[in-house]
Amino acid sequence: MSHVKLIDIDKHYGGYHALRSINLSVDKGEFIVMVGPSGCGKSTTLKTIAGLESISSGEIWINGRNVTREEPGDRGIAMVFQSYALYPHMTVAENMGFGLKMAKRPQTEIDAAVKRAAEILRISDQLDKRPKQLSGGQRQRVAIGRAITRSPEVFLFDEPLSNLDAALRTQMRVELSTLHQQLGSTMIYVTHDQVEAMTMASRIVVFNKGIIEQEGAPLNLYHNPANQFVAGFLGAPRINFINAKLVSLRDGIAEVALEGGGTTVHVPVGDVGDLKAESHLTLGIRPESLKIGPSTEDTAISFDGKVGLVEQLGRETILYVDGGPLATIGSESGTRNFTVQLGNAAGFSSGEQIKLSASTSSLYLFGPDGRTLSRPKSIIASL
Amino acid sequence: MWKKHRNWLTPVLFIVPGCILFGTIIIASSVESIWISFFNWDGVGQKSWVGLANYSELFADPQFYVSLKNNIIWLVMFMAAPPLGLALALLVNQQIAGMRILKSLFFIPLVLATVTVGVVFGWVYDPNYGLLALIFNLFGATAPALLADEHFVTFAVVAAALWPQIAFCMVLFLAGLNNLSSDIIGAGRVDGARGWNMLWHVVLPQLRQVGFIALAVTVVGALRSFDMIAVMTSGGPFGSSEVLAYQMYEQSIFSYRFGYGAAIATILFAIMIVFITWYLRVMVRMERETR
Amino acid sequence: MYPRPIPEEKPALRGLYAGFVGLILILWLLPLFAVMLTASKTADEIMAGKYWTWPEHFNLVENFQAVFQQTNMWGYFINSLIITLPSVLLVLIFSTLTGYVLARYNFRGNALLFSLFVGGNFLPAQIMMIPVRDLMVSVGLYDTYFALIIFHVAFQTGFATLFMRNFIAALPDELFQAARAEGASPWQTMRHVVIPLMRPALAALAILIFTFVWNDYFWAIVLTQSDVVKPVTAGLNNLRGEWTSAWNIVAAATLFVAVPPVLMFFLMQKHFIAGLTMGAVKG
Repeated sequence: MSHVKLIDIDKHYGGYHALRSINLSVDKGEFIVMVGPSGCGKSTTLKTIAGLESISSGEIWINGRNVTREEPGDRGIAMVFQSYALYPHMTVAENMGFGLKMAKRPQTEIDAAVKRAAEILRISDQLDKRPKQLSGGQRQRVAIGRAITRSPEVFLFDEPLSNLDAALRTQMRVELSTLHQQLGSTMIYVTHDQVEAMTMASRIVVFNKGIIEQEGAPLNLYHNPANQFVAGFLGAPRINFINAKLVSLRDGIAEVALEGGGTTVHVPVGDVGDLKAESHLTLGIRPESLKIGPSTEDTAISFDGKVGLVEQLGRETILYVDGGPLATIGSESGTRNFTVQLGNAAGFSSGEQIKLSASTSSLYLFGPDGRTLSRPKSIIASL
Repeated sequence: MWKKHRNWLTPVLFIVPGCILFGTIIIASSVESIWISFFNWDGVGQKSWVGLANYSELFADPQFYVSLKNNIIWLVMFMAAPPLGLALALLVNQQIAGMRILKSLFFIPLVLATVTVGVVFGWVYDPNYGLLALIFNLFGATAPALLADEHFVTFAVVAAALWPQIAFCMVLFLAGLNNLSSDIIGAGRVDGARGWNMLWHVVLPQLRQVGFIALAVTVVGALRSFDMIAVMTSGGPFGSSEVLAYQMYEQSIFSYRFGYGAAIATILFAIMIVFITWYLRVMVRMERETR
Repeated sequence: MYPRPIPEEKPALRGLYAGFVGLILILWLLPLFAVMLTASKTADEIMAGKYWTWPEHFNLVENFQAVFQQTNMWGYFINSLIITLPSVLLVLIFSTLTGYVLARYNFRGNALLFSLFVGGNFLPAQIMMIPVRDLMVSVGLYDTYFALIIFHVAFQTGFATLFMRNFIAALPDELFQAARAEGASPWQTMRHVVIPLMRPALAALAILIFTFVWNDYFWAIVLTQSDVVKPVTAGLNNLRGEWTSAWNIVAAATLFVAVPPVLMFFLMQKHFIAGLTMGAVKG
């Protein structure tokens, strides 16, 4: 039986339909990450699980109990807020013990729980300080500690790392994952950062405009996106999309004409139902799939490009390439250039002419409604 | 030459008129009053030095103690204003249609002149045709003439003054409530704080600054009260509703004892200084805490 | 949001709550309703002791006419205008200039001056009464508009300077640095940088000062005597003494006195509240 279950959650704000028929099932001990762009409904969903927001219809079950009508304090949840939300007039110890104090637990029990949590988070020497005396990272720990002392069924995290600087963020990411291993608790985590999602989650749930686009293991979503949105959301630098048109469909192979190139590719699509010729399609090529050099026998598409910008990151190089008549839709650089990712420190310079190619097996094809028609075959494709 | 010096000359010119005006009329006058308290003066003739005689007379004057007692009654009763203002603020702090208009209407007593409030409540208390009389008559009783009764008069006047004072506190607390961190409230709800616990442990600590201002304003209002008494009772019956501010006025204007009046004003001033110093000190400490 | 918002999904509960608050409001404003009721009665009804019945003949307009024609209320009203409007204007000017200097110039004595302005706010009027009155008498301004205008400008400048100084101090430093980099004189900085940004503060302050000065009673009775100069607050009290039994007239006059600040309040409500809380919280 699942530990947390969302059944047909719907939420309206005034005239705005914030959440549409959200269904989610979380097993005990899972680390679920809810991702999506701003305003997609992920934070709202988290808050409805917490009980801080009401729902218009649907049910929420935690640990076999219908908690839809319950107060946040009675649901067996603990929450870590983006702004930490520490009580400014209480000491660290009081902050961490507040939940148990509200539950009228004896002081000895509270003190023991606080001490334990402080040890796990290595803030035992901060217990008498006030939040304003602590750094951002320390406040973050206190917020997590406050959640731990309550021994909740489910931990809820609302973009907890957004207010930290980059270095601290990476460190805390690792610490949170370690904490999850240590405690083995169910954790539901919200972020807009897909790197956090990919690295921390046992399962990712991608939100967009109030609905769940897809959920599953991170690598599964990366290699087998259900639609164009998910393919575009996961993966940094972002996938290159090219407008295209269906020329013909025969024997499971789609002949697709690319906009502006006069190029045609053949993509195996299997059974995709009824698609008329001239249908608008989108081709997707991940930056790491674009190879420099002449075509090989596996090449589906090859074109000349002029290097626009070069970003040297040491372990990899990112090129923004102008493909001439061939162009992407709204690329990473804001232009219509192609993003190419090379896994080494290559010596390219702006203005250089290069030849780019991509193999058939690396292509994504998306239908007029965004649905994935074809995805790359990979070793992990069986996920 | 002007241009060379304008960078410091201009600000000086800016600041001088305000400072002169404020300095002479407000600050200098206050100091002068203290000086006058050492004299006997009828306002027209010569002043004659009496040293501390006015003060010793004051401390032996039973009316002084009546005024002082009334000031204390004002102070104590006025302490109801912040909590009641908070209660009203909590009541109206909902985003329901029409709530905004209702909110504004609650503020009306604050905008009325104290004279107006005094006149209005003068009626309310009238034992024949006032609102009070109406309520008592509904229960088949006759209303007491509060404003003519030495024992109740001050309480009645303070109740009238509470009307605008509560509205003022309500405004302050509404502003404070608007500035609450919704995340901290959320954390409180997740921690299981409810009703009174939530108010006491989570909300009120965040309202400390605003509450402090409401308190300060209320204390100052209680100590400074004059208008309401002047309009409703003229200090009567027989001076039983007088406060220090009114006694000072009465002694000066009606009895032509300006020196004596100045002494009363100085005592009042001293009381307020004590309060202002305490207030400023706590305020500075608070600001340092929240930084 | 605190207290907990009643969810949108429960319109019945929301309506009930609003109704409840409305009820409390009616109780809260009961004294005013009583006045309005009385102001609508005819003299006969008052004589007959019919205080709490619904007016048989809705006499509000006639009562107001009586107020204007048979009493000095209109004159008092004009006096209030003559006293209040220039006061507000002058206070705004002085407090802006002074507040600007206090906010942006560091000089020895800045803190002291500022605390004087703050402290002066708390002084009871009585401590200034005798010397101020004396001053006005000796310069011959006693019982004139000028006495009240001068005093109100002087006193309100205290609170107003505090208000302006806090507001200007909160403006970003970069603005002033940019102006200085462009070679602007203090006056130019004031005119082109500060004043345009201060409109909301000026509006808030203006309405607050207007209310304070218009509603003043103490100084009106201390510094004026004749009806020619008396403002509406002192006037109302006089009226009550003179027209003791014609309660409907007095009630109408009371409403008349109450209307301007209430009207101003509703028109400029946002500014009024902002002003009160800005000045209070920052101070």
